Amino acid sequence: MLKKLMDFANSREMRESRDEMVVGELVLAMAQMGMPATRFLAGADAQQVRFSTPHDPLLHNIAVIVDRKTGGGALSEAVIGSKAVITVTAEIKNYLADPDDLVGMWRTDFANITKMPLLGQVKLDHQLNSVLATKKLIIELNEYIGDPAVARPRLVGLLQATIAELSQSLAPYKKHSPFEVDG
Amino acid sequence: MTDAVTDQNEAIFVELVANSWRRHAEMTRNTQTDDLLVGAIVASSVNQGWALIDLGSDGRSHLLRFDHAASRTRLVVEVRSLAEDLATAKVLGRLANVEIGFGMRVDNFSQVFQAVKTEIKSALLVSTEPGVITVDGDLSTGYVYAQITLMVDLDEYLTGPLAVDYAKLQAHIGAVVHSLNKYLRGRLGL
Repeated sequence: MLKKLMDFANSREMRESRDEMVVGELVLAMAQMGMPATRFLAGADAQQVRFSTPHDPLLHNIAVIVDRKTGGGALSEAVIGSKAVITVTAEIKNYLADPDDLVGMWRTDFANITKMPLLGQVKLDHQLNSVLATKKLIIELNEYIGDPAVARPRLVGLLQATIAELSQSLAPYKKHSPFEVDG
Repeated sequence: MTDAVTDQNEAIFVELVANSWRRHAEMTRNTQTDDLLVGAIVASSVNQGWALIDLGSDGRSHLLRFDHAASRTRLVVEVRSLAEDLATAKVLGRLANVEIGFGMRVDNFSQVFQAVKTEIKSALLVSTEPGVITVDGDLSTGYVYAQITLMVDLDEYLTGPLAVDYAKLQAHIGAVVHSLNKYLRGRLGL
């Protein structure tokens, strides 16, 4: 009887940990792509990891937030699966900037008003010397864990496609300078 | 102002900005060294077949828990940076307290309960000093853990600003896990 209770507790723990498992796979995938994790912020509701991009001449860093929405309980997982919202934000940094740069970016800020990140659109955000591009995706966590031969290439493909799309959006705003440092 | 003076002033300005970014990067790298090692622990453990099942981090203190389904064992790693401040890091090194725990599933309830009793004794012997093995038991899931606190210099695991010596990191974690596994098996009479 006690063994059955322990088995039940273990299976519940594994079910509740699917988002952490995906974060683990994410950190491995990014490390293998040459982007090591350099910042962790994680609580009970969401996990945020920032990755440095030392080999990328355009991007300064990439942040990924995994926010689980469904599937914490056995019933909800069986009915609607383990869904999570993954927010990927890529940042470029301009190492010499002045306020006129920010003023000149009003067009994209204006265009952002109508954009819905949850529909998969890329949203741009201008800081004083940084430009950030964000894309949100809804994923089924179970598709990215399990058999590594299947799940890992799927995760790498998702990350590469998303990062490429964000890079393309940011490229026009990058001002290359002799002050580049790896973030 | 002559062209030569203008060029000279611009060169000084560029140098000042470049040095500012270099110093800023040095401060940033200091605060992210513990995160870099935590990321390397996650990547190498997942690559070796462990599944990350718990992640807690406030940027300074990080808790990782891994599960190895095939062997019904678990690995717990807690990293607490002691040198977030650059001055401390330069004087003492990038030190961190690292607590490593190794757990195994025990179906015999009395053995788990015995470990929990030992945990209470361990709690009475809480020490801030390294090298003390404590035992912990989780009644709900049936896992018994042996854990030890170590103090490490994080720079020993780096080969560059953003490059980790994975071989050394894996060898050191493997050695601690090996010893804790041996201790736990002896303790539980397995």
